[in-house]
Amino acid sequence: MPWLIGIDVGGTFTDFYALNTADGDVRLFKRPSTPANPAEAIVLGLRDMMDATGIAPADVARLSHGTTVATNALIQRRGGKVALITTEGFRDLIEIGRQTRPHMFSLQIDSPAPLVEREHRFEIAERVLADGSVETPLEDNAIEAAVGEALGAGAEAVAVSFLFAYANPVHEAEVGAALRRATNAVPVSLSSEVQPEFREFERTSTTVLNAYLQPVMDRYLGYLESEIANLLPGLNVGIYQSSGGLMSLETARAFPVRSALSGPAAGVVGAIHTARQSGRPNIITFDLGGTSADVALIRNYDAGVSFDREVAGFPVRLPMVDIHTVGAGGGSIAWFDRDGLLKVGPISAGADPGPACYGQGGDQPTVTDANLILGRLSPGGLVGGDMPLDTELARGAFAPIAERLGFSVEHTAHGALGILVANIVRAIRTVSVEKGHDPRDYALTAFGGAGALHAGEVARSLGVTEIIVPFAPGILCAQGLIVSDLKEDFVHSARIALDGQFAAEIAPAFADLTARADEWFEAQGIDPDARALTVALDMRYIGQNFELPVVLGHGNGSGRPTLPSPDDLRERFFATHTQHYGFHNPDDAVEVVNLRLTATGALRHAAAAPKPATAGPPKPSAHRSVFFDPNAAVETPIYDRAVLSAGTEIVGPAIIEQLDATTLVHPGDTARVEDALNILITVAA
Amino acid sequence: MTQASPTTLDPITLEIISNGLRSVADEAFVALMRSAYSTNIKERRDHSTAIMDPAGRLVVQAEMSLPIHLASMTGLMASLLKKFGNDIKQGDIFVANDPHVAGGTHLPDVNMAMPIFDDGRLVAFMCNIAHHADIGGMAPGSMAGGMSEIYQEGLRIPVVKLFREGVLQDDLFELMLLNVRVPEERRGDYFAQIAACRLGERRLHELFETHGAVAIGGAFGEIIERTSERLRSAIAELPNGVYRFEDVMDDDGLGAVDIPIKVEITVKGDAIRFDFTGSAKQVKGNINLTRNATEAAVAYSLKALLDPDVPNNQGVLDVPEIVIPKGTLLDANFPAPVAARANTSQRIIDVVIGALAQACPDEAVAAANGANTTAVFSGTDPRTGRNYVYLETLGGGFGGRATHDGKDGVQVHITNTSNLPVESIETEYPLRVDAYSFVEDSGGPGRHRGGLGLKRVIRPVGHDCIFSGAGERFSHKPWGLFGGGEGGMGQFHHQGADGTLTKLANKPNDIQVAEGEAVIVETPGAGGYGPADERAEEDLARDRTSGKFSDDYLKANYRRDAAE
Repeated sequence: MPWLIGIDVGGTFTDFYALNTADGDVRLFKRPSTPANPAEAIVLGLRDMMDATGIAPADVARLSHGTTVATNALIQRRGGKVALITTEGFRDLIEIGRQTRPHMFSLQIDSPAPLVEREHRFEIAERVLADGSVETPLEDNAIEAAVGEALGAGAEAVAVSFLFAYANPVHEAEVGAALRRATNAVPVSLSSEVQPEFREFERTSTTVLNAYLQPVMDRYLGYLESEIANLLPGLNVGIYQSSGGLMSLETARAFPVRSALSGPAAGVVGAIHTARQSGRPNIITFDLGGTSADVALIRNYDAGVSFDREVAGFPVRLPMVDIHTVGAGGGSIAWFDRDGLLKVGPISAGADPGPACYGQGGDQPTVTDANLILGRLSPGGLVGGDMPLDTELARGAFAPIAERLGFSVEHTAHGALGILVANIVRAIRTVSVEKGHDPRDYALTAFGGAGALHAGEVARSLGVTEIIVPFAPGILCAQGLIVSDLKEDFVHSARIALDGQFAAEIAPAFADLTARADEWFEAQGIDPDARALTVALDMRYIGQNFELPVVLGHGNGSGRPTLPSPDDLRERFFATHTQHYGFHNPDDAVEVVNLRLTATGALRHAAAAPKPATAGPPKPSAHRSVFFDPNAAVETPIYDRAVLSAGTEIVGPAIIEQLDATTLVHPGDTARVEDALNILITVAA
Repeated sequence: MTQASPTTLDPITLEIISNGLRSVADEAFVALMRSAYSTNIKERRDHSTAIMDPAGRLVVQAEMSLPIHLASMTGLMASLLKKFGNDIKQGDIFVANDPHVAGGTHLPDVNMAMPIFDDGRLVAFMCNIAHHADIGGMAPGSMAGGMSEIYQEGLRIPVVKLFREGVLQDDLFELMLLNVRVPEERRGDYFAQIAACRLGERRLHELFETHGAVAIGGAFGEIIERTSERLRSAIAELPNGVYRFEDVMDDDGLGAVDIPIKVEITVKGDAIRFDFTGSAKQVKGNINLTRNATEAAVAYSLKALLDPDVPNNQGVLDVPEIVIPKGTLLDANFPAPVAARANTSQRIIDVVIGALAQACPDEAVAAANGANTTAVFSGTDPRTGRNYVYLETLGGGFGGRATHDGKDGVQVHITNTSNLPVESIETEYPLRVDAYSFVEDSGGPGRHRGGLGLKRVIRPVGHDCIFSGAGERFSHKPWGLFGGGEGGMGQFHHQGADGTLTKLANKPNDIQVAEGEAVIVETPGAGGYGPADERAEEDLARDRTSGKFSDDYLKANYRRDAAE
């Protein structure tokens, strides 16, 4: 059973990436998405792909799936009807949030209304204190009343969130049990299970989002599971989560919120895989799609994790790959702001009508139109594609702007791309310079349909000297899915000072987390030698209200991670503080607020790289005029990437085209095809 | 169309340079936040960074900068240029905070400015401002009421050189640190401000290398002028006319009550004039403003009403003509205390919006909670024996709007600071939060109703504590617009062990709260927009089913029988 299949569902296309772990053979496949029920495209596509490639059902070992069903349900507000049971006196907390507004100067823009109506929030007399002790016990008749009200309100899912439930989940557990006794039809989300950490608003918000998504994801995954069972009986299916790993179908149905930001995470994991093949541990990932650009900083093949993100305006506090997104992409529109400055994005022509050159009725000038005008994109459209691009429509869309500026259409298009690049450079500075990292020490990994078109200019603006263009930049997310591991995060939230009692106080929590991780390993059937545990402590100075993650070593296989001494921990905290903030204060008292354990189950991955294509010196398939400079075009050779073999070197100017992307090699830059068929571009000094 | 002449920058180059300048200001902002010591800067982000031109004009402000800091920076630069005109050298860093002689708005906000040279020519200043958690004076935190002179509020720093040509002036620095509480923390925050100046200097030099200092200098003027033009074109869309409005502050905590703020706004073509003549004389309590703070409030109102996305630079400040008689609440003379200027800033904004509502009814909002309601609990933590001070500022209702209801329980206008989670409060302080909710019936009725105020019930655990507070719109209700009704007022209550409620003053000081007793803080709601009888049935139904309004209230305020 050598085949692994990654399936990434996008708005327009569903991408399939199949890898034969025995011989390294790779099969790529694409088919139009079916937004009404994304599982249809998956099932049809799987069948078509297996027919076309001759992969036998029995030869498929695993299927990894990245889904935007949860994300879209949030954006389009198509989740279930939620009831919330919460501590007496606090039903408005989910609506008050942090009492801030999203835009400093707008009198009209508000944070979104909560996903649970006020009349569906039910208070219950109970109170747990900060130390986990019970001040007000929960009465049975109060439970009965709240459960009756919540179910009587017609809730399709119930969220339960009590103050300090992370310190003592007993009250939430009692209410959860009562709900499950009352009905099997209504899913339940407990804050102490979804996100057992302090800060009640973020925890409650995450729990309510989870409940909101449960009915939708339950339907979707249930359908998918039964369809796949027909097609590929007994197949192991993994669902991608925002932390950059896979989870079981069962976990995905219990905690759908974990997949809400998973889309860009798979691309980052794919980029890390590419970086390993290139032997470059420090990269900046640059994923440029149709409407947005995602950038992330990778150190030592490791993506940073962030805990404070928003989805559709709602805070979600869960481990997520730290990605920064800006509204800049191929569909971004060039427009004049009210002060007369030219802007590019964040407004996008989207897929419909799309850029003017698509000929689908779009008349706004976009980034894709600019690339076509400058000869950077082929008028024939993508290689093997059946959609030619219309240069005259693109020029027509840019003509009014060019006239207002008094520039040629080419000069204007070149300027628009310069502004796009400036926006992306700003985003990359946010994840690098602002966090104390010099981008010049990193290679730029460019992917998405349009990343490699603009990487040369982005790299130059940042002083970056190397660009990696993966083998299949347009479907790197699908590739990322099959190189991902199973992952589960465990957290224990409690304030423990780094003093004489530290070791005694933290030991039970640590033992509990380790035991839970072991249970998970067993339940997932992960071999002992494929198990890994990573420990991280959220630490801060006593009296401060923000914490820093201090990541400790890994314990592999049967080896167990151990906790260092308080003195050692203090030193590690100081080092982390210095790295983040440039200083530390050795005399101030330090405390731990969260103990985190990440369990990883390594899955069988690619043994071999994709096979090199037919060898031979590179021969351009065509030539065309390309504007690298705003005022003068140069005759530029065009290469078909599919025929470039490992070891090939091309000095720019050149354009390399392939099924899913176009790579621009600037004059003087050198592109070399590496053994794994990634392209490494060295930027000319 | 003619080809752009080589001496002016085209809109593409200008956008790219302006993008670079925004990055410099933003990176300096993050650098200050990262290297600061205090929670106030690191977490509440009570700081701003900016690039100014050699004439002292604000060119670019970091995106997360605060509206109130805008004018303080230009105020500092005006004093700096006046005092040091031709004595500005490479490596100098200037420091100042005084509202009366150095352009500040209150003493805890300390400004720094560093001149940036290219080939010996002054090209720009890197500036920043940070709210220090203490700047000395009579009470910890340097923000307390009850004082009648600025001397009592803390250390006054005129514009002086903290660095002379790269050399720290140790004697001056020692003097600054000796006069504040927790000097180690202040020292760290000052060095964070210095680091932010220097980072900005390096980044600006990188931009000079890419684009040339001459082009950058040219871009400064162009950016400011384009911003002014943009705002003027928005003003030109307003109907010409004279618009008046008047409102009052509740009190100054030292005996003055019903303190009027009055404005007459004249719109003519693309020009706008604000005349605050008729506003109250300055008061004894600490709610006075210096001119810069009033200008900042006007600039905020214009931006919010006319073009929320207009860049925040000198171009905004240049547009309005502002007349404020000296010696008034809005341009107080030395030695008026000014620490609590934020509440007064909120009321200026209400008054400006109230006046311009006739000119731009679709953008205007009814009176919001108009306050920066402050609650301070202090005492000795029985668990550790250490003193603690817990300060919070609470939001309230936001005014009803042309197209939708006012938001419930939110920070408004000049402030946008976050709350502290209940789970943090109870972990860190010997306090218990018994409820955190909306105040029923506090949103004014209207086609689009006003937002509800907030309610917090807090009690000491295992000890007795002291409560102090500052409330506004505790005596005067937030008004409605275009027939919308008034919102509810805020109030402080002391709750005895037997449940008896005692109403406290608007600005109570040193209230004893014993174990078993509690303080109930209720903040003001906001006014409604449009007549109540035009409220849509489904909105009214939501008011009823959500439980935010009582049946009695709905019956009394809406003509239809709401209880049906």
